[in-house]
Amino acid sequence: MQPLANVTSLKPAARSGAVQLAGVGQVYKTSGEGVLAVSDVSFEVRPGRFVVLVGPSGCGKSSLLMMMAGLRHPTSGTILVSGAPIADPDPNRVGVVFQEPSLFPWLTAEENVEFPLTLRGVAKKDRRAKAQEALQLVGLEGFGERHPHELSGGMKQRVSIARGLVQDPPVLLMDEPFAALDEQTRMTMGDELLRIWAATGKTIVFVTHSLTEAVYLADEVIVMSPRPGRIVDRLEVALPRPRTFEMLSGDVFGGLRDRIWRHIRKSA
Amino acid sequence: MTGALGIKAARIAVVLAVFALWEILSRTGAVNARLLPSASDTLVMLGDLLQRASVRNDLLVTASEVVTAFFVAVPIGALIGFLIAENRYFADVTKPLLFFAFSIPKSIFLPMFILVFGVGFAEKVGFGFFSTIFIVIMSITTAVESVKLDHLTVARSYGATPMQTAFRVYLPSMLPVLLEALRISMIFNLTGVILAEMYASRDGIGHQIATWGENFQMKQLLAGVLMIAAIAMAFNELVRSVETRCSHWRT
Repeated sequence: MQPLANVTSLKPAARSGAVQLAGVGQVYKTSGEGVLAVSDVSFEVRPGRFVVLVGPSGCGKSSLLMMMAGLRHPTSGTILVSGAPIADPDPNRVGVVFQEPSLFPWLTAEENVEFPLTLRGVAKKDRRAKAQEALQLVGLEGFGERHPHELSGGMKQRVSIARGLVQDPPVLLMDEPFAALDEQTRMTMGDELLRIWAATGKTIVFVTHSLTEAVYLADEVIVMSPRPGRIVDRLEVALPRPRTFEMLSGDVFGGLRDRIWRHIRKSA
Repeated sequence: MTGALGIKAARIAVVLAVFALWEILSRTGAVNARLLPSASDTLVMLGDLLQRASVRNDLLVTASEVVTAFFVAVPIGALIGFLIAENRYFADVTKPLLFFAFSIPKSIFLPMFILVFGVGFAEKVGFGFFSTIFIVIMSITTAVESVKLDHLTVARSYGATPMQTAFRVYLPSMLPVLLEALRISMIFNLTGVILAEMYASRDGIGHQIATWGENFQMKQLLAGVLMIAAIAMAFNELVRSVETRCSHWRT
């Protein structure tokens, strides 16, 4: 196990919500041969930060996220969430939002949000209260009784975010959550997410293909190379908050987007 | 009339028209009344048959065979179907073989069932089971495969135990396909049992129908046909009404 850089300086109390990766690598086994998917990735996300991972298809950014969620295991290196290794999914530390809303169609929106609590045997009354709170947070008050097929794509993804937040984990991992939405909804959802983030103070690690989305949302953008995925650049997004639509056409925004694009074009 | 109500009315009209045509053909002598007794006479006979203790007993015998075959075939078929769907190797080996087996008309095996089990309850249940098991296996396989990987990942990311995954993800995901499987299995099951009864049996409603046919008792025969048709349709519709309620989560 490699020593963790810059980790020792963190006090334990300050680590709640921190995500730390050190020397993370992953090898896939395909028909006997090992394919190096992710190689030597180290970075640290301080609590409450919004970090976006971008990179070409197949660079392993989603794999990294799944490893942070405890859904996959790194072949080498360590991942700490809130200061402790994450070997298996731990919904108390990490909430996950997937590309597809993946709501259960047989449950109502509220029951879907309650699902993580149901698994832990939380009493119906408490589940309901928490779910209502989460639905209100994502702007879906009054839609709890609806089934997923009665909701629009954007609303479904809001439910999915509410489900990720219902146990109040300090970290929210989002795997291209808006990729399946139309452009307009996508922009709205981006603003909504920033509002939710500001209201909850969660640490968010967000994976996307969209450079605009990356710069618009992030405090910091981490750019990855194609397979084997490794970090090729890290950008601080110095734009003020709240982010506005007008910033998209500004020089700062354009400069950052171009810098990311140059990395990705090289590898395309 | 094209509204939902109009369509329903049209359906009823078609059924009534068939009965009316039947009545007219028979009454006017267009078709020999000995060959095709009138619809009204047949319905009267149906009422009469249902009063007879012997017919009720036949229905009871058939029902017990059908239910037994069903409750043996469904769990065994479900278990095999589940293994096939969950185990890649098992699936690769057995799936094509099952499709081959499914394509064979099951009726050609009936004489063997009679030789092995003799004429009676075991033969009819055995053949009902044999007629049903393949469709159960194939439907359950489809049902398990209809469970979305996304949903399983969600359950896993929220720390679901295997039992929770089984009852909160697998079961509800499979429910619509499962209900359809039950419905279709019952059609095959009923067909198998009645065929066995018609071919070689001493009791049961299928045996009775075969006897009426051989003795040229057309009124009884047609009444028997109406009776079995009504029972089969009632069961089918019962399951289907539950099925439509969960149809919105079918993939």
